[in-house]
Amino acid sequence: MRTLLILLTSSLFSYAQPNCYIYAENSQERKACELSYKAIQYPQGSKASQKLFDQAIAIAPEFAWAYYEKSVPYFKRGLLREGLDILNKAIKIDPKEYLCYRAYWYWQYKNYNLCIEDLETYYKLPKAYVQFTPGGDKDMRIILGLAYAKTNQYKKGIEIISNCIINYKSKDDIGLTDYHSLGILYVLDKQYSKAIATLKKQLTINEDMADTNYFLGIALKEKLNLVEAKKQFTKALSKYRETNRFININAGFKVYLLDIENEIAALSQIN
Amino acid sequence: MESKTYLLILILIFSFISCVNSNNVEMIYKDQIGDTSFNPNLDDPEFKFCDSTNVLHKRAYISYSGGKRALEKAIIKHYEFKPEYSGFNGYFIVRFAINCNNEPGRIRIQVLDSNFNQTNCSEVLMQHIQTIFKNLKNWNHAIYKGEDYDGYTFHVIKIDHGKIQST
Repeated sequence: MRTLLILLTSSLFSYAQPNCYIYAENSQERKACELSYKAIQYPQGSKASQKLFDQAIAIAPEFAWAYYEKSVPYFKRGLLREGLDILNKAIKIDPKEYLCYRAYWYWQYKNYNLCIEDLETYYKLPKAYVQFTPGGDKDMRIILGLAYAKTNQYKKGIEIISNCIINYKSKDDIGLTDYHSLGILYVLDKQYSKAIATLKKQLTINEDMADTNYFLGIALKEKLNLVEAKKQFTKALSKYRETNRFININAGFKVYLLDIENEIAALSQIN
Repeated sequence: MESKTYLLILILIFSFISCVNSNNVEMIYKDQIGDTSFNPNLDDPEFKFCDSTNVLHKRAYISYSGGKRALEKAIIKHYEFKPEYSGFNGYFIVRFAINCNNEPGRIRIQVLDSNFNQTNCSEVLMQHIQTIFKNLKNWNHAIYKGEDYDGYTFHVIKIDHGKIQST
């Protein structure tokens, strides 16, 4: 169900698209809103769409959504500074709506300190609500936890991800990669028993990531359970070779084929 | 004296015209954001797109053999640290194209500080990064819906005191 929801949300709408009818007829905002809708009918980043966004912005410079939509292709194409200059205008108008999006791109461009700064600011805002990565794969609190881990603050990361999972309204809200992310942080923080328990929980939710078995193998190896460790590395290898394997998009800590092969080679004496 | 006066008038007229122009700048739009046209000062004339009218802006379809980690390793391997770089902290956002023959070209670099504000670094360092990317092999061009494509992509390099950091 959640997978279906993610697929639907990622393909149907990105960040909340406004309803143009909330703006008074013939108002500048209504016109800007309609122009922006027209713009997103054209391919992202195309001349036609850019011109329409600029027209919208010229008519209603306080209409944040036009800036946001205009900025997207800049971020996706490596024009970071240009993207930020545009998106910052949307954030100035409506920080609650757009701060998380900037944090996401800070994460993508590997500036974990700025990512943390934006997300901490966001969650302190009154009535901050649950926001996801643009693809819908992770709650932004998971990204915050992973960003702390990227700056070697594993305990802080563990605290944030654990709290995120505890505070979900329903068990159905648990993401397909949440326990995986938490499990990695336990491994990095050398809390191997907790890592094993957490990664095993992950396998009950989504067992299609080779990376989960790899990190489980690492935790077991550290606990000197080498037979089980090797089993997990071998499982990781076979999952890695599947053509349609599950890809953890915002993994933060990615496992490569070579990592798995090295672990198996190191345990070659174990049957 | 008279010729000087003429010159002065001419300068005034020109500056007036340029003032008018700068107030009415027509926004220039590229066909696609990120399209990078040939610049003889920066680009190798030998680098050619297979179809310059249809270069993909879908980064996910371009890969480096061995993945991102192999790419990072290759960059670090070719990076030669010099003490004069040690004052630099920040990021290089390297945009480039991979043509359908797996060759890199049209390399453009954005230099940003730790807060992602535009900054500068030594020309030597900039050239060095440029050269590393020019010489990177092992790219796999985009194959989209079964067809071969030229495409654009980018890579982020983080530098701490002149040294490349693994991200």
